[in-house]
Amino acid sequence: MNERNKPQGGHRDVLQQELFEKQLHSLAQELNYPRTPNIAGSVMTGLRRAAAPRFISRRLAWSLTIILILFSSLMFIPPARAAIIEFIQIGVVRIFHAEPTPSAPPDQDIPSTKVQVTATSIPTSQPLIPILENLAGEMTLEGAQKAVNYPILLPSYPPALGQPDRIFVQEAEGKMTILVWIDPQKPDKVLMSLHLIPPGSWAIDKFDPRLVEETSVNGQRAIWAVGPYPLRLRNNDLQFTRLIDGHVLIWTDGDLTYRLETGLTLKEALKVAESLQPIKP
Amino acid sequence: MDESTLIRHAANGDATAWEPLVLAHQEAVFRLSYLLLGDPDDAEDIAQETFLRAWNHLKRFDTTRPLRPWLLSIASNLASNRRRSAGRYLSALTRAFRNEPVSSASIEERSTRHMEASHLWKAVQTLSVPDQQIVYLRYFLDLSVAETAEVLKIAEGTVKSRLSRALDRLRGIIQQDFPVLAEPRDGSEGNDA
Repeated sequence: MNERNKPQGGHRDVLQQELFEKQLHSLAQELNYPRTPNIAGSVMTGLRRAAAPRFISRRLAWSLTIILILFSSLMFIPPARAAIIEFIQIGVVRIFHAEPTPSAPPDQDIPSTKVQVTATSIPTSQPLIPILENLAGEMTLEGAQKAVNYPILLPSYPPALGQPDRIFVQEAEGKMTILVWIDPQKPDKVLMSLHLIPPGSWAIDKFDPRLVEETSVNGQRAIWAVGPYPLRLRNNDLQFTRLIDGHVLIWTDGDLTYRLETGLTLKEALKVAESLQPIKP
Repeated sequence: MDESTLIRHAANGDATAWEPLVLAHQEAVFRLSYLLLGDPDDAEDIAQETFLRAWNHLKRFDTTRPLRPWLLSIASNLASNRRRSAGRYLSALTRAFRNEPVSSASIEERSTRHMEASHLWKAVQTLSVPDQQIVYLRYFLDLSVAETAEVLKIAEGTVKSRLSRALDRLRGIIQQDFPVLAEPRDGSEGNDA
């Protein structure tokens, strides 16, 4: 890969590229691979067992084992016992139901399908800005757009909202973008946050929002979850805490899942969601 | 029996005709899977799955075409799906490589071409998956431009332009994070890297 004997003249770039390719090819051939296993033997055995169930890969076997253990563990947690029975999937977010109990939903002003879920004690609100300081992957909006392979859309509603004050890109089986707007009246509070979650983060779970209802964003199915609740990723060690004591609107557009945390009403949150636009240069 | 004859027999359900084909291509399929996933157990799983899927779809395969690009295409897709589920782990690895550039001192202690090749692989792993695929196929597995185009189902001209861009990015990564690979070494003329 050395740059010795750099050619001079009009064809220097082409020659340098050819030299680099030559060196790359030569060095790549030196890579040590593990010994190739007896794939043919395994495949032929698999074919001979055509009548039997297909063999399970090691990773799949481990995954099934872990899922079984998780499932068994959850059964010991009373709220989770019901949650295992039913859940709502919206994009990559999965909201587990607990035992239904009646509770009065606030601010419902458009038709929607409502699903009651168990109300649980809400953790005491904690200072929010320190949470932001602990979030990894902070960068500029421009840097975030370069870091992810999907367009970052920003709400144009409310008109005075402007660009997010804090931007984070985090690895969560795909690069997830978190946009945060700080309350200008209360600089220690988060006004609104928007998560853009790419495919793959299939196991983001929410437990026990006070109310979950179905609605729509731009004609696409969406979920409105009322009341603060912990949010976490089950498929890795990331632990997300909500950024505001508000509600959450979740919807999808193509492969992306959007998650808007806001203290706004559903009607206002829908306006925000439907106002998303590409970043203006 | 030539490859196309074996494929025709296998497509008619003759498993004994499939075995020599698996033997002929298992190394390339396993190696590509290993390059993309970095784990030999995962690579073995993907290689097995590749040949089973190919067997199940042989009737639809054009026997006038070479088998290897098709198999590598299946393996590449399967590996990409597997990578998504392991994406976070791989990303962590990528970050680790970026955060800890290879020191010249540690390399000098183990200055072999194998180690340099290993660092080259680490450098390639920091590229995007499409860039990795094309670099692995062309330079690590030594496929021709035409074969690479066949695997990726793109035009040969597109292979060349994508390779050119991928190499530009790789060169930048090597210069920034793997300076030891960019340093001149004694006796590294000509084909040496």
